[in-house]
Amino acid sequence: MSYMPDGWTLPALDDLNRPFFTTGKLMLQHCVDCDRVQHPPEDICIWCQGDHLDYVEARGTGDVYSYVVPHHPPNEKLTTRVPYNIILVRLDDYPHVRILGNQIDAEFDEVTIGTPVRVTFEEIADQNGGATILLPQWVKA
Amino acid sequence: MHGTSVVVGVGESTYYRAGRAPESEFQLACIAIRNAVADAGLQMSEIDGFVTYMDFQRNDALRLMTALGTGDLSFSAMSWPGGGNISAMPIQIADAAITAGYAKNIVVYRALAQGQFGRYGRPPAVPYATGAAAFKTPYGEASPAMNNAMPFTRYMHEYGVTHEATCNLSLASYAHAQRNPRAIRYGQPLTREDYYASRWIVYPYRLFDCAQENDGAAAMVISSADRARDLKQQPVYVKSAAAGAEQRAGLQATYNEPYFPYARRLHVADRLWSQAGIGPKDVQVAQFYENFTGSTVMCISDMGFAPPDGIEEFLSNGNIQWPNGKLPINTSGANLAEAYIHGFENQLEAVRQVRGQSTSQVENVEFSLAVGGPGAPVGSAALYSKQA
Repeated sequence: MSYMPDGWTLPALDDLNRPFFTTGKLMLQHCVDCDRVQHPPEDICIWCQGDHLDYVEARGTGDVYSYVVPHHPPNEKLTTRVPYNIILVRLDDYPHVRILGNQIDAEFDEVTIGTPVRVTFEEIADQNGGATILLPQWVKA
Repeated sequence: MHGTSVVVGVGESTYYRAGRAPESEFQLACIAIRNAVADAGLQMSEIDGFVTYMDFQRNDALRLMTALGTGDLSFSAMSWPGGGNISAMPIQIADAAITAGYAKNIVVYRALAQGQFGRYGRPPAVPYATGAAAFKTPYGEASPAMNNAMPFTRYMHEYGVTHEATCNLSLASYAHAQRNPRAIRYGQPLTREDYYASRWIVYPYRLFDCAQENDGAAAMVISSADRARDLKQQPVYVKSAAAGAEQRAGLQATYNEPYFPYARRLHVADRLWSQAGIGPKDVQVAQFYENFTGSTVMCISDMGFAPPDGIEEFLSNGNIQWPNGKLPINTSGANLAEAYIHGFENQLEAVRQVRGQSTSQVENVEFSLAVGGPGAPVGSAALYSKQA
């Protein structure tokens, strides 16, 4: 059971985001040339413009840096899901990186800025037959 | 070089609620352009350039020049990337083209019929999200309101800003719209109680924090100062126009920009004021794009009118309401209450304020500001003046 409804939008997997969405680890893109981490992933390093990038696993802890609570459904797939929370997590080990997610153990009105959170993963089958997604999500640490 | 180009004409179509326009979006564009050209006292055959933004090739320069019967086309361009955030960027482009002599009379316009091409607040569900959206939509971040809300929640937390700031912005727009017969919310006043009683769209935004969705078009004609001298209207100079973004601003797509949660207009502010040789205190009236009020609150601060921890006070006590406010803001009703023509209607209102033709006319306007959208990393602003 995932936080968002069955059949909701999945990430379109590509070479840049596959480690983030399919490994069950919080993988961030890392520059081999300058040793810095960037998010979201890009074709080249935005810090040193190097062409050699790989991925590193982040610790997977952080705090709620900001959040919003959608109440009005923009389309029919969300009509029975609202209200829900969307949080922006600032990572402890890479504080310049912020990752969007849902705090899946909190109701829509239970989210507060500063809450320590840790990553967890939702296994979501692609109804169209694509690769299974292991979607990074967040619970109270 | 600034001050060499002049807004000589403004015009718009009737503004409609989304889906209510009897005309097509293209016809709305033609109506607005015809009105702007007539307002200038020009002949359509003298128009030789077109500039717009986020048009998606629906109302392109070739189709317009053909239908409208302009002369030869000498210049056409479209600003990018973004929507209302770059609503002042086509002014900058037209100013550059006029100053360089590439064209003589350029139409700058925006036609937007959300009733015909999809409402911005109702993006359809998609099976897959690509690019930056891949990191957002799977978590239910699926509308412009949600996207614009995230920085403001943090901004409120960091600077102690409350909903009084957004409420006052909304109330000012609605109050000004009651004086403007063009406004869709004309005859529909809003009270503080109405604002706070309205439903949440996405926390921290209530209904009256969100722009309308409309059908309409707005246009202006920009010419050289020499050409403007013998035209119908008082010349309104493009004193300064700025557009752009801070280094690595593209990280904003997933809220990873270094300066989050600022509205990211600092670069544009620096450019605008330094080119003009004046500052925020020298402006008598201002229009700010408001897709969502929180983004606008941040933008007003970023343009230098008040620091973040002073912005709520700046917006309070009627300070931004005509006629007694120190800086009347959004004097036509703007996107919240006049019409959502993607911010371009605000550019027209700024010109009217210099001419003395606003329905909430500020006295002795020397400098009139119109700032393009917050909520996306590329910002834009245009400063209009009575003198070159």
